[in-house]
Amino acid sequence: MTHTRIDMDDIPKPEKTVRIEGSGKQALEQGRTRLLIAGSVFALAFSVIAARVVDVSVFDRGAEPNLAQESGSLTHKTGRADIVDRNGMLLATTLSVPSLYADPKFIMDPASAAEKIRTVLPDLDQTELLSKLASDKRFVWLKRNLTPRQQYDVNKLGVPGLYFQRESKRIYPQGRLTAHIVGRAGFDDVGLSGIERSHDTLLRDGSEPLRLSVDLRVQHILREELQTQIDAFDGIGAAGIVLDTDTSEIVAMVSLPDFDPNRRDKISDNAIFNRASLGVYEMGSTFKIFNTAMALDYGTTSLSGGYDASKPIRIARFTISDYHAKNRWLSVPEIFMYSSNVGSVKMAMDVGGERQRAFMEKLGFMKASAIELPERGHPMAPNPWRPINTMTISFGHGIAVSPVHLANGVAAMVNGGIHRPATLLRRESDELLVGERIIKEKTSHAVRRLLRLVVENGTGRNAAAEGYLVGGKTGTAEKPGQGGAYRRKALLSSFVGVFPVNQPRYVVLAMVDEPKGNKSSFGYATGGWVAAPAVKRIVERAAPLLNVAPVDEDAPEIRRALMVKIPQAKGKKALASF
Amino acid sequence: MVRRSTALWLVLATCAGITLFLVKHEVQEREDRLNALHTEILANQEAIQVLKAEWSYLNRPERLERLVRELSEERPADRLQRATLDMLPQPLNGDGETPVTEAAHAGGVVLPMARPVSLGARQ
Repeated sequence: MTHTRIDMDDIPKPEKTVRIEGSGKQALEQGRTRLLIAGSVFALAFSVIAARVVDVSVFDRGAEPNLAQESGSLTHKTGRADIVDRNGMLLATTLSVPSLYADPKFIMDPASAAEKIRTVLPDLDQTELLSKLASDKRFVWLKRNLTPRQQYDVNKLGVPGLYFQRESKRIYPQGRLTAHIVGRAGFDDVGLSGIERSHDTLLRDGSEPLRLSVDLRVQHILREELQTQIDAFDGIGAAGIVLDTDTSEIVAMVSLPDFDPNRRDKISDNAIFNRASLGVYEMGSTFKIFNTAMALDYGTTSLSGGYDASKPIRIARFTISDYHAKNRWLSVPEIFMYSSNVGSVKMAMDVGGERQRAFMEKLGFMKASAIELPERGHPMAPNPWRPINTMTISFGHGIAVSPVHLANGVAAMVNGGIHRPATLLRRESDELLVGERIIKEKTSHAVRRLLRLVVENGTGRNAAAEGYLVGGKTGTAEKPGQGGAYRRKALLSSFVGVFPVNQPRYVVLAMVDEPKGNKSSFGYATGGWVAAPAVKRIVERAAPLLNVAPVDEDAPEIRRALMVKIPQAKGKKALASF
Repeated sequence: MVRRSTALWLVLATCAGITLFLVKHEVQEREDRLNALHTEILANQEAIQVLKAEWSYLNRPERLERLVRELSEERPADRLQRATLDMLPQPLNGDGETPVTEAAHAGGVVLPMARPVSLGARQ
């Protein structure tokens, strides 16, 4: 019975561990695998984080700042940048000023509150204040734009129901002085005129102050002296410019009458009109500077040449005659010195209309000036350019330019012949603009000597500020009235001066509108009597501020540099040494 | 063994927690102070702006001129009273060079280096 015998050894012994066979075992294996995978994923993630932590904390990175940076700038933003003069004096700034309002609901006793308020704000109307405080509204303005002191005083009253609202306000500490240059900003701080308007976006975005080329002190002197002349000669207005001959920076620019930009109401059109840059005028004899320079530069005549100025010129229905008539042959220096119209006309005719036109164009007299103001007058020049225009333009009629044009042009005539556009913004002294050459250096030198001659011995003697070597040219233009005819009594008297004329630093232009002659001027209202004395005083007062030292006018080297030989009709030569 | 490491970790965690709290507290305090300082700076800047405007207002040339006229002798400075540095006698340096010899020439008097501008040259 072997086949019934069971070998006990063949039967496996029961094990202690449980073995699961089949589907159970498979599930367990799957779970273990998943756990392993998940575990390793986590381990990987943690090691990445650990590595990153080490990376961030241990290793230094160049891109990361060592210090925490403050978000948002710390500068006080007012919403509109300041405007300062060349020395940094504030011309316009924005302050946030408190305005006083009341919530009448919280006013317990309107009568006593009104009484108290009026002790610190006496300009408020009693009855109006009372009715405001007693009204049913929840918000009434009591006074806008308080000073810090007034705010303090109101707070000190301790009246409940009074509150302050902060508003920003544009302030012009210098008031009228720079009214036409800086201009003004209206409500909502929108620039309305002047630099405020032309640089509106810049002022709005920037926080750096905008630096102008204007010198407040010179501006004051210019304004005061022009006002003096208006008062003395009963003028209706005046304009003046002080311009740096080398950089063409405008150091001072005044238009009278002017206005207070801090007062937003009551500004008349006459006051707001900028005579210095917007007004265009027939400048009269000051144009002879350009006429003479042009003739000398084209070589149609020379300082030793001359023209017959004995008879007036008749053309069409006009007669061109001389104001200070000498009725003889005049040399070129004499034509300039005595401001002879006849001689100037002949000089211009030799040059010719075409070349004259080109010269005026080069001087920038055919387009608005480059000055940074919205108020820029467009010159009035003839078109077509007829011979009669060539004649009248030679002595400054028939072409109208702004005073800025004139000062800018004169600067180009005396600074060696380079024209640089006038600017109201501060130029750094080392970045001198290249500019455009208009006349030769030699011509410019001749012009300087002629200008000196006028002041030393010609029509501009009243401008002689001793020690400062003023050179210049007078101009007296008759203003055109209604219908184009010139009015003999309505004059525009001007003087354009240069100092020191041996090495020009500044051009000074003074212009008085419709002056009337008086006793002190022996009845004259011409440029030599009205504008020249103003230029003299302006130079005397401003030169020390502009760092121009007085010189000995009789020093031989200066006399030699400025000497002009005045040729005589019959070939005799005399030295003009006065 | 297990208990000791657990305790250690527990102590470490507590320490870290306390430090974190203290640091956070400190940071918050400093932030508050920073904000306060910023407000103060802005207020001061605003005050400076007002003062600048007032300074400019008080420095109106017309006002200065009036004050000078009122408060000083009524005598504007003559332009011929101006002098430049080279017009002044040069200071005597230790080694006593040029100025001394020149002074000796002038009989011990230190003379100006240049003549002033034509004072009354015309009279």
